[in-house]
Order: sequence, then C-alpha cells, then structure tokens
Amino acid sequence: MGPRSADAWARVLAALRASPAAFVARAGAEALAAELLSELRSERLSEPTKVSLLAAILEFPTQLWPDPTAAEAAVSALLDTLALLPPRPAALRRPLLLAATSVLASCGALAPASAATSRLLCVLLRAAAGRAAGPEQRAVRATACECLRELESCHPGLLAGQLGLLRALQDTLGTQAHCLLFVLTLRDALGALARAGPGAPAGLHGLLAARTDSPRGGETQACDRSPDSPGAQWPGPWDWSLAGEDVRDPAAPVGREGGRPEPSAGPLDLTPPEARELRAAVSQLLDASYLLTPPAQAQMLQQLSQVLRTVRGQPPALLKPQLVRLLGTARVSLLHAVLASKDAFGEALFTAQDEALLLRRLVGAAQHPALPSPARLFCLHCLLHFPENWPLGPAGEEGTPVLLTPSLATGLLPSLLQDPPDLLARLHLLCLLCGEELGADGRRDCQGTEDQVLLYLQGLLASLRQGAAQPGAPRSSVTLCFRASYLATRCLASHPGALAQLTKGLAELYQARPCLAPHFVDLLEQAGEVLAEPLGKALQQVAVAGAGGAQALQWHLQILTKVAGGQPLGPTLGFLWAALGQGGDWAWEQALLGACRALLRGTDLSGAGPRNLANLLQELARGLDDPDSRDRGRLYYSLFTHLSGSKLGSALGPTRSTPMLGSSLVEENEGFASALTVQEAQAPLQLRRVPQQAKEPPVILGLTVEASEILYSLELRFRVLGPHYEPLEAVQVPCLRPGASPKLLLLPLEPRRPYPTLLDVSVLYATPGGLTCYAQLPSLPIAFADLFLPLPPPSPEVTHPPTFQELWASCLPGGAESCMWGPWQGQALETLVTKHWEPFVMSATPPTSYRVAIRLPPSSQLLLQLEAAGEDGVRVALRTDDWAILPLAGEYLRGLGATL
Amino acid sequence: MAQRAIWLVSHEPGTPHGGTVRFSRRYPTVEKRAKTFNGSSYVPLPEDDPFCKALLFELRLLDDDKDFVESRDGCSRISKASVYGLPIGGKELWPVLALQKNGLIYVSVPLVEQTLSAHPPLISISGISQAFDLLFGLIDFFDSGPRTEADLSTKVSQLPDLLLHICPFGTLLDSNFLLDNFSNLSIYQAPKQPAWKAGTYKGKPQVAVSITEKVKSMQYDKREVADMWQVYGTITCKCDLEGVMPNVTISLNLPTNGSPLQDILVHPCVTSLDSAVLTSSSVDIMDDSAFSGPYKFPFTPPLESFHLCYYTSQVPVPPILGFYQLKEEDSQLKITVHLKLHESVKNCFEYCEAHIPFYNRGPITHLEYKVSFGQVEVLREKSLLIWIIGQKFPKSLEINLSGTVNFNTMGHQKQPVDTICIGGTTYVKLYFRIPDYTLTGCYADQHSVQVFASGKPKITT
Repeated sequence: MGPRSADAWARVLAALRASPAAFVARAGAEALAAELLSELRSERLSEPTKVSLLAAILEFPTQLWPDPTAAEAAVSALLDTLALLPPRPAALRRPLLLAATSVLASCGALAPASAATSRLLCVLLRAAAGRAAGPEQRAVRATACECLRELESCHPGLLAGQLGLLRALQDTLGTQAHCLLFVLTLRDALGALARAGPGAPAGLHGLLAARTDSPRGGETQACDRSPDSPGAQWPGPWDWSLAGEDVRDPAAPVGREGGRPEPSAGPLDLTPPEARELRAAVSQLLDASYLLTPPAQAQMLQQLSQVLRTVRGQPPALLKPQLVRLLGTARVSLLHAVLASKDAFGEALFTAQDEALLLRRLVGAAQHPALPSPARLFCLHCLLHFPENWPLGPAGEEGTPVLLTPSLATGLLPSLLQDPPDLLARLHLLCLLCGEELGADGRRDCQGTEDQVLLYLQGLLASLRQGAAQPGAPRSSVTLCFRASYLATRCLASHPGALAQLTKGLAELYQARPCLAPHFVDLLEQAGEVLAEPLGKALQQVAVAGAGGAQALQWHLQILTKVAGGQPLGPTLGFLWAALGQGGDWAWEQALLGACRALLRGTDLSGAGPRNLANLLQELARGLDDPDSRDRGRLYYSLFTHLSGSKLGSALGPTRSTPMLGSSLVEENEGFASALTVQEAQAPLQLRRVPQQAKEPPVILGLTVEASEILYSLELRFRVLGPHYEPLEAVQVPCLRPGASPKLLLLPLEPRRPYPTLLDVSVLYATPGGLTCYAQLPSLPIAFADLFLPLPPPSPEVTHPPTFQELWASCLPGGAESCMWGPWQGQALETLVTKHWEPFVMSATPPTSYRVAIRLPPSSQLLLQLEAAGEDGVRVALRTDDWAILPLAGEYLRGLGATL
Repeated sequence: MAQRAIWLVSHEPGTPHGGTVRFSRRYPTVEKRAKTFNGSSYVPLPEDDPFCKALLFELRLLDDDKDFVESRDGCSRISKASVYGLPIGGKELWPVLALQKNGLIYVSVPLVEQTLSAHPPLISISGISQAFDLLFGLIDFFDSGPRTEADLSTKVSQLPDLLLHICPFGTLLDSNFLLDNFSNLSIYQAPKQPAWKAGTYKGKPQVAVSITEKVKSMQYDKREVADMWQVYGTITCKCDLEGVMPNVTISLNLPTNGSPLQDILVHPCVTSLDSAVLTSSSVDIMDDSAFSGPYKFPFTPPLESFHLCYYTSQVPVPPILGFYQLKEEDSQLKITVHLKLHESVKNCFEYCEAHIPFYNRGPITHLEYKVSFGQVEVLREKSLLIWIIGQKFPKSLEINLSGTVNFNTMGHQKQPVDTICIGGTTYVKLYFRIPDYTLTGCYADQHSVQVFASGKPKITT
C-alpha cells in the first residue's frame, strides 16, 4: 500500500470513527498503527492532517495498541517525533503531548519499569516548568499540566514526589492549569500518606519541601529550552513509593463518591507545623480560586474539601468565605460544589441558619424562570437529596428536607402546561410532601392546606387521564399519565380516599381506551399491592363487561391474564365463554389459554366455579382450531382435575423459584410444568440469504433454512424493525431434517419507504421429544440494494417508452441530484456494472459510460450516469425523484467504493 | 469528575434513520477509570450508530411508538433532570445526559466513580454538573450566529479543535466555547490574570448595561384557581475597560413604590454579595419590610458581553388584564375577548398581538368578527386568529373582540391537536414588548455605575 493522500486519510479516519472495532479488524491494528506513526514524520502531509491523525490516536489508542508493550513503543515513537520538531512554534507540539499521554494512560503502559513512562513524565514536567512567555509556550505549558493531571488521575500518587516542585510552580506562575494540577496532586498525596500510615517514607513537609530547589537551581537553562529537548532525563530516579496500583485498589471498600480518599486507616495526623503549612497552602489556593473558570472552581472546591477531610482536626471554616460568593451564582456546577461540601462537613460548615438559606436559594433556583429547564430540574433533584445536617429519613432515598414546608414549595406546584419532565419532577415533590404531611399524626392543625393540596393533586391526575383518554392521544401523554399515577400511588398509600378515586379514574380510562392494557399491566406490576388489589378488581369488572367490542378482546384477555387469578371466578368464566364463541387465530387462542392459566393459579376455587372452569377447559381442548392449543387445553384440563390447588399453583408457576412442596408428586410434576410452557432454546437451524431478482414488486427476499436436528411444525415469524414496511406473514414449515436439501422461503417485502432495515426472525417449533420451543435467530439486514427493481416495462398503449434522458429530466425539481467520484479504475467499472447493475442498465457504451435506472418500491426511482474519466476513476452523477433516499444512495455508492 | 464521551446528534424527522451523529468524542483515559470504578456493572460505550438509534428511541424521536415498549414506556422509568438510561446490547448505559435544542441533541456521559449496580442519586455524581456546564456551553456555541446548515457544519468542524483545548481529557476546563481564536484562549492565561478573561482590552473605555424584563402570566378567571403572574429580568453588561482586573460596581435602583427584586442569581465574576441580596427570595410573604435596594453588584468584568444577574419580582397587578369567553352553539363557536391595560403601564408598545388558537377542531372555514380596536388576521389552516393591537391601546385602555367561528370538522388530520385543550378548555396568548420600560421600575443610570480603572468610561444604560 502506497502512502495515502490527505483525502485518503480523511476517509480512513471517518471509517475508523464510524466503527472502530470493525475497521481495525479489517485493516489490522498493527499495520494501521505503524502507518499512523510513520505518517506523522512524513513531509508530504500538512500540519492539519497530522493533527487529525493525532486526534485519532488520542481517541482510539486501545483499539490501535491492544497490548501494553506495543503501546509503550508507540509512546516512544511519539516522543521521538516531538524531539524532531523544529524549535519554532508548531501546531503539532500540543497534540503530540496529548496523544502520548492518552496512549500511555489508557493502554496500561504506565508503570515503574517502563522507559517510555519516565521519558514522558520528564518531558511533561520540563514543559510545565517552562518560563518562556508567548502564546504558544503558554499553551504548551498548560497542556503539559493537563497531561500530568490526567496521568495523576489515572494513577493517584504518581506525582506525590513532585509536590514541592508543583507548589513552587503554582506560587510563581499561578495559572489555572498549575493550580488544578497542584490541588489534585496534594489530595492524592495526602490520601496515599493516610493509607501508608506511620510507615510513609516522607511526611507532608518532606513532600512539600522536596525538589523545590532543584528546578530553580540547575533548571534555569533547561526550563528555557524547548520542552522537547532530546534525550532529557529527570535528575534522579522517579519516586513510585506513594503511587497506588491503579485508579484505586479495586478491593478497597467503595465509599460514597466525594469522600474519595477515605482511607481504611482513618484520617491522617499531621504535626502542628505541617498542619499550618497545609492550611496556608489551602487558603492561598482558595483566595486565588476567583481567578479560575467556573468549572475549574467547582473542581478545586471539591478536591480541597477532600483534602481537608483527609486530615484530622482541620476545620473547614477556611472554605466559608468562598461559599458565600458561590451561593449567589447561577452556575449549576458551583451550586453542586457547595452542596458537596455541605454533604462532606455538615454542621461544621453550615449552621442551621446557613442550611435554611441554602435550601431557600435552591428552591428559588428550582423555580427560576431565567434558568434553562434541565438546570431547574437538577436543582429540584438536589432538593430531594438535600444533604441535611440532621437527616431524619434513611440515607440515599428521596425525601423532602424537614425545612421544606408546603408553603415554601408553593412555587413548585406542578401544572399541566409544563413539559412532562418538569411536571413529573414537581408532582413527585408534591406527592412526597403530601405523603409526609398525611402520615404525620401530630400535625392536624393544618388540615385545611393538606386537603387543598390533595384536591389539587387529584385534579391534576384527572386532567392527565382525560388527556390520555383522547382517541389517538400520543403515547407520550399516555406514558405521562401512567407515570404520574405511579408516583402518586407510591406516596398516597396512607390515604384510602385518594387511592379509591385514583382507582376509579384509571378504570374509567381503561373503559375508554382498552388498547392501553400493556400500560395497565405494567402499572399493576410496578405499583405494588396498595394499588394492584383495588385496581385489579376494577379492571376485571371493566374487562368482563366487554367494553370496546370485539377489537378490544385481545386487550381484555391481557388484563385478565394479569388480574383474573385474584378475582371471583364467575364473571371471568362468563366472559371467556362468550369470547370462545368469536373464534380467532393462534395468538388469540394462546391469549385465551393464558387467561385460563391465570384462573387455574387463582385462589377462588369454591362453589360452582371449578365445575364451570373444567367445562371451559374441556371445551377448549375440543373446540380450538390449532392442535397445539388443543393440546395445551387438554393438559390444563387434566392438571386441573387431578391436582389440588397448591400443587396446581406451583406446577403452573412462572419460575422454578416458587417455593416447592417437598413431595414426590411435585417432583414428578416438574416434567409437566416444563412440557406446558414454551421453552426458550438456542436455534438448531440456520437461515441464509439467497440472491433473488424480482422483475416487479413486491421485492422478494430469498432465504434458505437448514436444520441441524429434526424439527416439526415450524412457524417462522418475521418482524421488520421500524415503521417503514408492511408487516410480514409468518411462514409454516411442516418438517425439517438435517442433511435434507435446504428449504427455500420467498418473502415478499412491501416497503412503505425504500429504507434499509433489520428483519427480526424468531421461530416456534416442536421437537421429537414433544417439547414446544421458541428461539430467536440472528437479525437479517435488509440493505438498500436489496430493494432494487428494474423499471416497469412500458404498457402496450404507450408507443414511446420514456428514454433515460426524459427520466433524468423528470426527476427535478421535485427530487434531488448529486455527484460523486468513484475510485474504480480500468476494468473495474465494467466489472462493477456486471456485478451489481446488470438488470438496470438502460443504455451503455462499454467500458466507459453506463446509464442505470433503478426502481425503488413503492414509488421512487434512482438514476445513475457513470462516466469513466481516464485513469483517475469514475464520475457518478445521480438523480432521484425522492430527496430522502439521496443519503442512502450516497452511502451505498461509497460502500461499493470501499470494497475495492 | 470527568466525561466519558460527548455526542452531537441532529434529529432529522422523516429520514430513514431519524437522525445522524454529527460529532462524537470519546475519552479513553476516562473510560479506563470507568472500567475500574464501575467494576462488574461497567457498560462499555457503544459505537455511534447503535448509540444514535437507542438515543432517538428513548427520546421518542423515531416515528415508531405504536407499541408499548417497557424500557421506554414503563411507568417506573422516570428520567430525572434529562438523564436517561439507554439499553445497549442487553445492558443499560447510564447516566446519559441529553439536552435537546433546535433540532440538535447534545449528549454527554459523565464518569461515575462508584459501582452502578443501583443508580446512585445524581447529586452524588461529581461529573454530572460538569456535564451540564459542558452541554450548556455547547448549546450557547451552536445557538449563536445564523442557524443555517452551513453555519452548523462550520461549527461542527471547529469542535474537535475546540475540545482539544477546552476539554482535552474529558475534564472540562472552561465552558465558554465562543472564542475568537485559540491563541487568545483564556485558559492559557498570563500569570495573575483571571482564567476566564482572554487578554486585555485596549481602546476607548465603555460600559453598557441593559435590563430586559419578561412577564409570564396566567389568568383563569375562576375562583378556585388563583391567577398567576411573574416578572423576571436579566441584566446584560458589556464592559470595555483597560487594565488586567478593572473593578466595576453596578447598583440597581427601584423607585419608591417599585416591587423588590428576588431570587437574584449572579454571574460568577461578581466578587461579593450583600446578605440582603442573597436572602431576598420569592418564597417569603411580601411585606413592606422587604429589602428594596439599591442592589449592588461589585465585579471584575470578562471581555465578552455577559449576563450580570437574573432576578424575579412580584408586581402587584398583571400589566394587561384579560377576559375570554367561548360558547359552542350548534356547529359554531362564539368568542368574546376583553383586554385591559393597567393604567400604571407605559402605553407605548413595539408590538402587541393576541393569539387565539383553536385545537382539535379542523381548519377555520368561516369567521365573522367585530373589534373595537386593531385588526384581525386569520390563519385558516393553522386554526389560529391573530388580533394585532399595534403600538398603543386607546385612551380608555380597554378593547374588545367578539365573533363567531366555523370549522371544517372533517379535515382534521393536519390540524393542531392538543390533549389539554379539549372542548371548552382553551386560551388566548398575548405577545408584546414595551421598549425603555421595566415593570418593576428597576433602573440603572449614569450614577449607578462605578468604575475603578484608568480613564473615564462612557456609560450607556
């Protein structure tokens, strides 16, 4: 492979970005990585191209260098390239440092024994300590600090030995990058000291004082030299004694975030002079924090609170002056940092009054119309997790802080006019407040407000139900209604009146729109007993009354399958008898059997009910169309007539985890239970695509199916993902045997839009052993090219079929056109046309010019004019009468280009 | 606190995939940390295509919501503060912060420094607020300037370079993406200069302060529902001053009967805040003892134009009082609208329009109306009446509109549908703007700006 041009590289990088794993597997990681590294030194490529190569290295190092040794070599190569750069300003210097750091840290090459590690650390430290003024040097300095910070983040304690140097740099240069680097290193060093306990090689003072002289003294020329001076080595060996294993010892107990340096050994004890020195350093950093950008301020504040927490007896009052300033800002990150320090220090930093003020600021921000909605929602979330000084509820759960009274929260009432997320978050808060107020006994004095709040909540839920009950209401408003009901249920458990009203309202909603059954089933599962019981009863009544006519039958069966077990038998049986008279397909029969199964597992087996149920099962076993369904009915019948209630329950239970009776009967029944249910299995069959060329619609998808064992009564079900195709019929195959010639299936595809998609395939079959199995097969892609059809033959009345030129002209102005270049040289064009477009060629002058007309069902066409332009490639002009397929056509053609 | 990856996805309704990934950036060093921190609950980042598909599905932006899908529609799966969980290869990628604005979806996945087997509360994830900052910064960047496809492509092509400076390793260094050029980048500050201030200004000193107030009001005319109105304001400043750190103090004043400013949120460059400013909050019951200024804001200005502060206020009456009645008679609607401008409000509008929409009824076929003032425009296809009131209310300050409207109930398909405005539930929406006037009476003048820097600046308010 010759050297690539800048354009070729752009294409390669785009392909890499689109699917790194697939691309690397195709191109070979080693070859690609080597090529990238060598191209960085090439003189042919411009700097921007090289920067884009480095960006790829920065982003995908683990794919390019899967093993640490190779990564180490790559870092060395990058550093060599850096050393070769001319001393004048170069755009490559920063990206090179970033890329080398990224490769080293993410590929696991960062280690004491690694030569590349010490080389990179040395280069970075020198660059960070550089004094030269000028925009490029400043940028390189900041970048070097960032690189060091990233290495330290990945390997806490790595820079602990350089703490003194970093402090000196922060003192003298005082830029944001130096401050952030010093704070992080300080935090990690203290954490490491605390972990090491008394056996630490040097105390904090030792660390802060170490090395402060060496860069000043011998460093003057080194610092002024360009950071990439070749062969530079840091004086003395690198101190790894405080560097941890990796990010964190994974075996260590995982504490809450924010309290990261929580050493198992407890807080660190410092000598009084050391503590003084630390306090001085911290307050100096805090004083300068105003000069940092808001995200950097937030980081620094968090890390400094961690520093203070690591050390015993350090009052957090140092942070106080900054907090007052930050409390007033509109920045989410700064507010978050304040809350984090409140969480860390509690009353030591925030008195009760401060806490009240913070809470009121938070309430104000959560309803502030000038803030963007996501920021308001985040503030609301913080309210529900407010770090109180003296929390009453269990930690980690949502709850309203004690100080948040209903009157304080009046501005946070939900309303129908808000966006769904706002509405739900506020509703949640309201429910929590309601639940709390109603639960507390001693607060009956404010009965009036409570009732008002409850009325408001009920009114809101009713309006949401009204919205969801509209015929054709979008699923989003339905989901909103159910989520609101779910939240309300969780908080209103102690209020039977409100719950009864909710149940009634939901039952009415079901009556109006039975097609919402899946939502109801979901709600019943999630909401717990409090709602499930009354709602189940109400829904059963609506279902057996048969609201919505025959169309709603499937939904009623779905609801009954869920709730009928716990309800009286009579009405359900009556309904099922009535339903049986209507008849239906296999799915309908299964739904009916499902409802019966729920009854079998139910509790109400007294009076005349059981006899009626037995009759029904017998009728099912006799009268259903599908043999499989009949069998299942018969089995239910035999089980029902032979087993007692509790055994029946466990035999038909959904999982094996239901408590088993220790009897031999039950063990024998296990076999039955597995025979009853459809088994999920690995598919013992294989589907293969066979090319099929249809002349006119529908497009035919050819498949062969082969089995590796004998299978009977197969039903292959196809589902096209997405809304762009008509549904496909299932295909029945009576029997498949291994070794027999593969069975050919022809699936007629009817696209609504000519878009590529995936075909989801599942199969239901019976084994020779008598089990019914279900298997999911790998999805089959339907490509854009699969939809190609030739233009329809002209009807006999038309004397002159349209020429290509007429078709070409007819595409505009309604359609779209485009032009591209294909990298097919010499004979490649002819081969391509024969291979892909033979049936669609309208006119041609082989081997240089072809005109291709393709019909895309249902009603689009794609026209191509291909002209070979000498040895360089092929000019492809394309037009279509449907603008939406232009990107697909482009993608398709590029795909053809890439296969060469 | 760091981000694992950033995506920019454009939502393209009606196209095959429903949207495309315009930009993505992954941070492998952060990913390595995520693997260690999350342990067995670690979910790797997906490639662009599956990610885009899962995101659009979760946000309901594909036309595919015919069926109930538990992972998206389940009643207990309530996303908090725009943070979603995306099903990817049988596992759930969480937390994915996704903000939508003008057809673009801005996405970031922050690092969580603990295991994810149960979702920890967002407040305990230190990277989450950084993700907000980052995405708000990106939104500002893409929202500035003309919003054309060409402009979008240019900005997308600048992103890799910008992020190389502002967020090289997934840890955000600055949230201001609106930069003139990189060499002037603020985070490469000269010593002892604020990191958020790129360089220094040279030229004629100048300070510009502008106050914008917006009013939001809902009037129900019902005894059980209280009418609501809320005023909120923004102070925007642009300070062109020489020196590294010039100090400026702006004080806002209220007239004697002005409504106090509350819920004041300031820009991070404000150096200190009076406790009275900090505690003045809308949750308090209003009385005469409330702090009514002057509100002093001492700060060191950044170079660019910025929002010095936001506030809210409770003015005693809404500026315009409305009355709307709608009666359904046979197949037509009779409507009556009265509007009354409050006498204390300056009667000099840049524009004033009342929009009267009709939902779920089909296109307007016939309209008869009488107005005491202004003129009416009919958008038949959109089922919307626009009453253009113009620059001034008449002397009486009261105006009326009455009329009857007929609809073609058959042509329902493309008409606006709303799940709230059913039957008699409907509304009139007023749009207006009054230049050089604030409802609160809040003002800043020549005397309220103090500058501590060399030269005498020109002050515009």
